[in-house]
Amino acid sequence: MLIGIDVGGTFTDGVLYHDHKILRSMKSPTESDNLQASVLAVLDELLKDTRGSDIARVVLSTTLVTNLLATGGGDKVALILIPGPGLNLRQLRFFNFAYIVEGATDFRGRITEPLNKSQIERAGEEIVAAGIDKVAIAGKFSPRNSSHERETKQILLSRHPHLQIITGFEVSGQLNFLRRTVTTYYTAVTKNTWASFATNVQAAIRARGIDAAIDILKADGGTMPLPVSLQYPCETIFSGPAASTMGAYALTLDEKTSVVIDIGGTTTDLALILEGEPLHSSRGALIGGLHSNVRSFATRALALGGDSAVRWQEGKLTIGPDRLGPAACFGGPVATPTDAINLLKQGKLGPLPPSQQALEKIARPAGLTVAELAQQTIDQAIAQLLASINDMFTAWEQEPAYKIWELIHRRPVTADRVIGIGAAAAAFMPLIAAKLGCRSFVHTYSPIANALGAAVSRPTLSLLLHADTKRRHYHLNIDGITGSCNSNWRLTDAKEEARNQLRKIAQQRGIGHYANQYEFFREEQFNMIRGWSTTGKLYDVGIQIAPGVIDGFKGVQP
Amino acid sequence: MNPKTYNRPLYQPAAPYDQTGLVFFPAFDWAISPTHPEREERLLYTRDQIFEEGIMDLPQIRQYQPRLAELKDIARVHFCVPNVAAQASEAHRIAAGGALVIADAVLSDEIKNGFALVRPPGHHAMRVAHGNRGFCNINNEAIMVEYVRQKYGLRRVAIIDTDVHHGDGTQDIYWHDPDVLFISFHQDGRTLYPGTGFMNETGGPLAQGTTINVPLPPGTTDEGIFYVLDNLVLPILDEFQPELIVNSAGQDNHYSDPLANMSFSARGYAILNEKLAPDIAVLEGGYSIETALPYVNLGIIMAMAGLDYSNLYEPDYRQNRFKENRNRMQQLEKIVQQQYHLFQRRHQLTAQGRPTGEPFYQRQRHIYYDTDQIREQQLETLRICPRCPGYLMIDSEAAGPQGRIKVHCISIPQQACSGCQRAARDHYAKMRRRPPEACAYSYLQDRPRDTYQQYDYHRQREQTL
Repeated sequence: MLIGIDVGGTFTDGVLYHDHKILRSMKSPTESDNLQASVLAVLDELLKDTRGSDIARVVLSTTLVTNLLATGGGDKVALILIPGPGLNLRQLRFFNFAYIVEGATDFRGRITEPLNKSQIERAGEEIVAAGIDKVAIAGKFSPRNSSHERETKQILLSRHPHLQIITGFEVSGQLNFLRRTVTTYYTAVTKNTWASFATNVQAAIRARGIDAAIDILKADGGTMPLPVSLQYPCETIFSGPAASTMGAYALTLDEKTSVVIDIGGTTTDLALILEGEPLHSSRGALIGGLHSNVRSFATRALALGGDSAVRWQEGKLTIGPDRLGPAACFGGPVATPTDAINLLKQGKLGPLPPSQQALEKIARPAGLTVAELAQQTIDQAIAQLLASINDMFTAWEQEPAYKIWELIHRRPVTADRVIGIGAAAAAFMPLIAAKLGCRSFVHTYSPIANALGAAVSRPTLSLLLHADTKRRHYHLNIDGITGSCNSNWRLTDAKEEARNQLRKIAQQRGIGHYANQYEFFREEQFNMIRGWSTTGKLYDVGIQIAPGVIDGFKGVQP
Repeated sequence: MNPKTYNRPLYQPAAPYDQTGLVFFPAFDWAISPTHPEREERLLYTRDQIFEEGIMDLPQIRQYQPRLAELKDIARVHFCVPNVAAQASEAHRIAAGGALVIADAVLSDEIKNGFALVRPPGHHAMRVAHGNRGFCNINNEAIMVEYVRQKYGLRRVAIIDTDVHHGDGTQDIYWHDPDVLFISFHQDGRTLYPGTGFMNETGGPLAQGTTINVPLPPGTTDEGIFYVLDNLVLPILDEFQPELIVNSAGQDNHYSDPLANMSFSARGYAILNEKLAPDIAVLEGGYSIETALPYVNLGIIMAMAGLDYSNLYEPDYRQNRFKENRNRMQQLEKIVQQQYHLFQRRHQLTAQGRPTGEPFYQRQRHIYYDTDQIREQQLETLRICPRCPGYLMIDSEAAGPQGRIKVHCISIPQQACSGCQRAARDHYAKMRRRPPEACAYSYLQDRPRDTYQQYDYHRQREQTL
């Protein structure tokens, strides 16, 4: 039996799944200042008729790190940057304790300026004097050569052994110094808070007699074992939208192109599944308005939900962005889009009179009939959703390509289907589908699809290998792993090495049984010509265990 | 050369119209030949540098996707022999299309300016295109300029060619056009390909002084180029008042370029673009792929986006490494003075140069296509019209490895008077009926009607774009 729990902003959802059936499901309000209690409340409910020892897997998706970052919580961190030539980072005014030190590495990993040791020592003194004990170090091109980051860490530790230090190459090995800086910094900010939450939850789960694997859902729709998450706390952001996207994926499991629409109380999350594959964002998740290196789904959030407050303001109808409570038909204080649908459907969702009364309060000063107001509310909400959906398709079509082949073979995408997730989905989906001219899909388990998505998502692992046969070495984007390569390496050798490394890292992380489900997503080779002859080759190989469902999962029976 | 002082934080949100557009199309699957300077690897390190820099995440930058230029967009500029598809592969159409995407975004006020960082380049491609010259098949800037003139009704455009090689293709295309100011500064043609771009190349008889060449002595530094900008290019632009400024942005003036001998730096390029403030920059040459391109491209993007470039430098750059010497400076002063004088007398020269009583002006030319080893003979015949820049006829005969071919081309400029338009169309109709001897194709480039025809004498078939 598997357990999936998704701690969302408003509700915590959980499912107990076994053999294509959902045995139990649970929805309870989230206690925002005690997420652990929220998790355990749902867990205990799910375990009511089940022994802990029968549980084979627990997957958690939580908003802890997202909340921490949104509220500016976490630990105080000093930042040391080794940027070399380029943008003037003195203008990067987001981090209070930031030091820029001399030293430079170029795109092929060659050191072009030595590190300035005394600058680092001075920074160390100031950081310690300010009472800060966590440091993030980020160097430009550190994925190609991490020696400056390592050296900086050593210099600091030799004087101040108590410092906790995170280096950029450990957390983010893709090329993008700004994103690496952001990711490294926020990893340091959230690491301790996440670790104490994760270990407490783990202890509580063990105390319930569950000795199964505990996995954490990541923004990319895959899971990672809890111990691994201690090193990558930022990977847990935006796991809510990831959970609902994977839920939609798990409920359909086909090769269609779908828009996933998760209509919550206050917000709606949108995601795309293109020909059966959930679409990732090419830019990395946003943290505090800055791009990070965290791989996430290309999701969009709208401040528009089933419970958004409907108002008439200055001659205009407004919906949201706030929620004052549930819909009027469920005892809430004001009219909501849910009430509008309830009215037009003559009480199909809940008791009609409260919806009618709430809408009347707005309709009268607006000079509309109740039915007109309800229709306008729905039209406006649908129009907003459609604009965002079209925007997402356009953004996908305009994703940059760097090869002629990619550009020529691109075709426009259209949705085959909308998949409704969340409690309010059933009422809205047919309306949206009609406007998009596609089918609508709402499953019996749509309201708790997010928790199901968490329960059945498989682990993911993505690896980039960059090899330079002239310099005879290669780098991975994970943990700063490097190795040497032969000067006559061919692309097949680079791919073989990437495959071996994927297997090795998967085993270390305890997800070795998925190591054979890899795919190559990038295979690039460049001849380096100096003078008029080839002097070496550069290879970029990407290999991944893509998001998917666990072995043996074939869908759920309603 | 004082860089601006910058107080804006790096991530300050930019209003859309305050953004700089960027098309980055490195064509990682295209090369002239595996070891050719114009090969897959050319923009690889530039990609690494701009990706690692994270510059495309900044709110000041908006990335665009290139598109394929239409065949018609190319026929608006070139007489491609035998046809457009034969000269413009997908790679060429994407490079030109990248420039068109940027032009559309600038002209519709989506962005304040933009850079088409594309390859293959184009500025050696002339009006008649029999093959590849100087790594170029079709002229990306000219295709863009004619597109915006057609679509947005622009008339006066300035193209500043900052590539180290003379922009002989662009010069050829605008030789007879008084509304396009073409200024090229480049290493002296006596010492570098294509061996042209001398001060006495000043434009056709009806477009005198809107083609301006500035041959630079080998070794010219940032300081020299700023002198030319401040004392020649910027004052001329001020007087000419173009509706659009285009930088035909080669990067081979760099001190490390393997094919030329100049001494510009990456920061010099940034300052150049800040001073010039082009609406659109289009990448041309530049073959120092590791030492220059990553830094120069970054510098151009930063300058156009108004980002502080004071921390931008090549790893081996040392301040005062290159100093302008007195001798070179004196040469530059003379060139600047003479060419500024030329520009100011342009109307007078055009009036004087108008042959009295002669209905046509002719010139004979020989053009060599280095890449494809084609030799072309041209006879240009320009209608000397008192009311407009006149229509142009070109008899072109090319001989190369593919054999020999002769074509006849007629071009009606946008500004042509109704009389010239009629005469040119009648001439094409006549040519269709009675082919000149051994001529394989006749072409009519009718810009006022935006239609482009070609007649195949062998198949007796006409194609219209």
